[in-house]
Amino acid sequence: MRKEIMEYDLDWTLWSMMSNASKLSNSTDKELAYLLKYMPTFSELPALFSAFGEAGTTFFEMAGTYLNNILTARERGKKTAITTFCLSPAILYAMDVVPVTLELLTVMATVMWERGTADYLDFCIEAGFTETSCSSQRGSLGAYLAGLGVDIDFIVNDSPGVCDTNANAFAFTAAYLDKPFFQLNMPSDLTSKRATDYHRKDFKAMINFIEDQTGTKLDQDKLREILEEVKIQEELIGEIEELQMLTPNPSPVEFSFLVYSTRFLFSGSKEGTKGLRVLLEQIRENAAKGISGLSGGVEKSRALFCYIDHYTTDMRFWKMLNKNGVTHLGNILGRSWYEDSPLPQHQGNKDESFSIDTSNMEAMIDTMGAINARMPMIKSIRGPYDNPHMWLDDNLALAKMYNVDFIVYSGTPGCRNTWGMVKLFARDTEKQGYPTHLMYSDAFDDRVESWETTQSRFEEFLQVRRLV
Amino acid sequence: MKTTEFIEIAADLDNPYLQKWKAEGKKVVGYTCSYLPDEILHAVDLLPYRLRGINTTSTMIGDTYFGPFICSFPKCVLQLAGEGQYSFLDGAVITPGCDSMRRLDECWRKTGEDYPNSAPDFFHYFGVPHKIVDYSLDWFVDEIRDLINAVEKHFKVKLEEDRLRASITLYNNSRKLTAKLDQLRIQENTILSGSDALAVILAGTALPRETYNMLLEDFLNDVEGSKKESNGKKKIMLLGSVDDSIELMQTIEGERAVIVADNLCFGPRQNVNFVDESEDPIPALAKRYLQQSDCPRMFGLYKERLETVKNRVTEAKIDGVILQNIRFCDLHGSENGLLERDLEAAGIPCLKLEREYGPMVETGRIKMRLDAFMERLDK
Amino acid sequence: MIITGGCDVGSLTSKGVLIRDNRVIGSEIIKSKVKPQNSADAVMSAVLEKCGLGRDDVHYWIGTGYGRDKIDFVGETLSEIACHGKGAKWLMPKARTVIDIGGQDAKTFKIDENGKVERFITNDKCASGTGRFLEVMARVLGLEMEEMGRLSAQAEFPITFAASCTVWAQADAIKYLNSGYNIEDIAAGINNAMANRVAVLVSTIKAEKEICMTGGVAKNAGVVNALEKLIGQKIRRIRRQDPQLAGAIGAALYAGEKLKQEKPI
Repeated sequence: MRKEIMEYDLDWTLWSMMSNASKLSNSTDKELAYLLKYMPTFSELPALFSAFGEAGTTFFEMAGTYLNNILTARERGKKTAITTFCLSPAILYAMDVVPVTLELLTVMATVMWERGTADYLDFCIEAGFTETSCSSQRGSLGAYLAGLGVDIDFIVNDSPGVCDTNANAFAFTAAYLDKPFFQLNMPSDLTSKRATDYHRKDFKAMINFIEDQTGTKLDQDKLREILEEVKIQEELIGEIEELQMLTPNPSPVEFSFLVYSTRFLFSGSKEGTKGLRVLLEQIRENAAKGISGLSGGVEKSRALFCYIDHYTTDMRFWKMLNKNGVTHLGNILGRSWYEDSPLPQHQGNKDESFSIDTSNMEAMIDTMGAINARMPMIKSIRGPYDNPHMWLDDNLALAKMYNVDFIVYSGTPGCRNTWGMVKLFARDTEKQGYPTHLMYSDAFDDRVESWETTQSRFEEFLQVRRLV
Repeated sequence: MKTTEFIEIAADLDNPYLQKWKAEGKKVVGYTCSYLPDEILHAVDLLPYRLRGINTTSTMIGDTYFGPFICSFPKCVLQLAGEGQYSFLDGAVITPGCDSMRRLDECWRKTGEDYPNSAPDFFHYFGVPHKIVDYSLDWFVDEIRDLINAVEKHFKVKLEEDRLRASITLYNNSRKLTAKLDQLRIQENTILSGSDALAVILAGTALPRETYNMLLEDFLNDVEGSKKESNGKKKIMLLGSVDDSIELMQTIEGERAVIVADNLCFGPRQNVNFVDESEDPIPALAKRYLQQSDCPRMFGLYKERLETVKNRVTEAKIDGVILQNIRFCDLHGSENGLLERDLEAAGIPCLKLEREYGPMVETGRIKMRLDAFMERLDK
Repeated sequence: MIITGGCDVGSLTSKGVLIRDNRVIGSEIIKSKVKPQNSADAVMSAVLEKCGLGRDDVHYWIGTGYGRDKIDFVGETLSEIACHGKGAKWLMPKARTVIDIGGQDAKTFKIDENGKVERFITNDKCASGTGRFLEVMARVLGLEMEEMGRLSAQAEFPITFAASCTVWAQADAIKYLNSGYNIEDIAAGINNAMANRVAVLVSTIKAEKEICMTGGVAKNAGVVNALEKLIGQKIRRIRRQDPQLAGAIGAALYAGEKLKQEKPI
């Protein structure tokens, strides 16, 4: 790692950036332009403020708070846990543990910096990790392996059975840093009684593990409070998803990113609820006016992202969508599986969704376990892609519900799991009449495929398939 | 039985004993991973056959279904299946050994739609947990029962408890013999090269177990008196990704080294732990098969694996450890990084090697690294 | 006076060196031919002719490099890592860490006070980060390797290249050229990408002073400068001979030791 990078902790740097960025909303355009000279590679910042006003500010505030929680965990007597976006942070908040979600930190740095997280990605290789491993963890993990972050107390992960590269990153971290490690396992089906029983036992074992680490018992009232907040949040997300079905889609393309990021940051916390309300408010306004959320105001094509988005430098992925008049109808990261949300309602299978029962401790733990078993990836890529309730099922349903024109796969070369089945998936979606574009780039590392190439291939697809 | 005969059996997918088995109208079920209890299939007269990807000349079919960032092992297996070379299979069981392997399930099924006779009628997904606790063991017991049900239904057979017990005894005997083989390898001036030992073990994955035990016993009786040839050679332990390439082993051994130990999933490791014959057979099998921590697919057990390797290094007086991984094998690749750090710190020289599964087309690249490593061991 | 020879047949170039009394009396670098034996013969003849010597005047040859097993006139062979270590020590006596970028491999290794290799690491399977990568890219730009270094020093806005795959990077380079980007900026981008890949190896082995670089890429100042920035340490430039000859020099030195009845390595 370069010497100058070794001078700064990743979490501190990100906090400093996010919290300062959130204050910029009060500045004049001139002041902002001046400050941007110091952040030349994040030209989308003013756009986030000017176009979205409160939504932009709130998001930066939220990210700042999240990072501040990490930085001050020790002094507030709290434990820190390295974890993954596949695990709902709600249970950690309920148990007073501060989540350090690697993929979130990777995305923050990737979006903001021109160099992305190259130094941290590469440091993982220096530490012995493979260069073919998923970049979504490596992008921030490198910092923690190099000691450029707060001290971590333990590691919790729930991807074994769903994504090896993800699980492996956390197992590696535990071995490298010599920290206690807990893994939830996911069976290949979601809805059988056997699977539900397994989830329950496994989830309870995780709670026991965390209790051992923190030395405090899971508190019933705190858990209830968190779950009630989760319910409010899922209802807000459900309404956003409902509105996105309109033509034109009133939601700005960036908002699906902000929605799932908010949930990853603060599921079950007041901060998250506030963030979601702001987003919903703006989408409602657009909907009432019957206007598209795209910056150009004209919706030319409707795209469903079957996996994740693309995060390199300056939010250029969303810029590209805006430029081409392509609206974003969500991806695997944002979907709500709460029983009243649009997709589970459309699918009509009660076992596939979760309900929220706060009547007693057992019911609440079950609820939390069920939520967790339906987290992004955990829900739909655990089993064969063409099994019921899995990847293909979900996406074909969404494609119909949202009246999509085409489907896009964006991921990372580190993803053995999706690259093991995405060609088959695309074959099936094409057969169903949905043009499907596979992006070969790395969503977190533009050294794999340059953005220019990614963009030209995407736009070529739009042209050739006459989508715009 | 001579080594050459084992080598002949190991060099092909098909062998005379397998042909005879099929000629008698008996069935063969292929599987992908050392976490599947062979005894279950054996007890209902099915031949458990460990799938390999040898002798491919292209991965055109493999690449059609799998994406580009996938391990070449399942691609080669799929290639052979697509070419019809696995047409002798009556069934296949897929296990989530890793993500690349578990997606063989879908890729193979879809290949079956495009290439006639490339996929067997019976397909079963065998879900092995990634950890060893009481409830994951319960899960695994249920998986075994599911497998039994599926097999009984499809092949119209009935698993009898006494037959299962007999199979367990037979496989335990096999394990005793393999343990003997293993002991021969670590003796001073061993008579067995690593590539020969691999051939012996590979043959076992494609033969009826009764036959294999007989052949192996003969072999062990014959070989014990033979001339010792490995005097002065460097003793190597080979770790990492799946490897059934005799050629790779021969390249590593060359003139100057002998591989006396490994922890490969085609190696002897699956033969060292016995199934408890005093217990109920299915839970006993579950324990034996799930409680193998050797593979990094069992997350969070690195320390146990490191200990196993270190003990083996001492016991077998290893001069150097080669840590190889197939490209895109993150599980072994990153574990190799940890092992290199910890073994080097303990004074054990290590060589990390990334490679492809399949025909050896990069001998020069590999040899350059091996030669330099041998020169280091000479110091 | 004893004369020994080193013949290093690499995947891109073949090198021959003759040593007498610890001094290089002749050297030659040629493009490798399809058959290693032909490369070896050609480079040997060229260097002998340069020195006005005949085949019998050389007492012992050692071969190294990819094609070493196919050379019939050498007494024995050694790996290029061993030879580059030995050669680096001769070229720069204080060297403890050697970075060698060959046609197919990038290697970093530590050597002891006798030039013997203590520990080494090499690149993974992929060709990016090797001499081959630079060669392909130089061809796209229509430049010689050394020009790439010189030009990249004049870059104002180096392009960020996708460095993980040679084939993709090549496609990118062509696109940038066609889009009218400055060739200096493209060259600098390529050198930076290359340096990035190699820096990971150098950091992994935890380089110690003095660090030197051998192999043809050592002559590309763009890569060397970028690498220095990335690893935060100075790379000492080899001046005594062409750094591309290090492997052949090491082989010739080992040949000398062999004759003195010293055990090589």
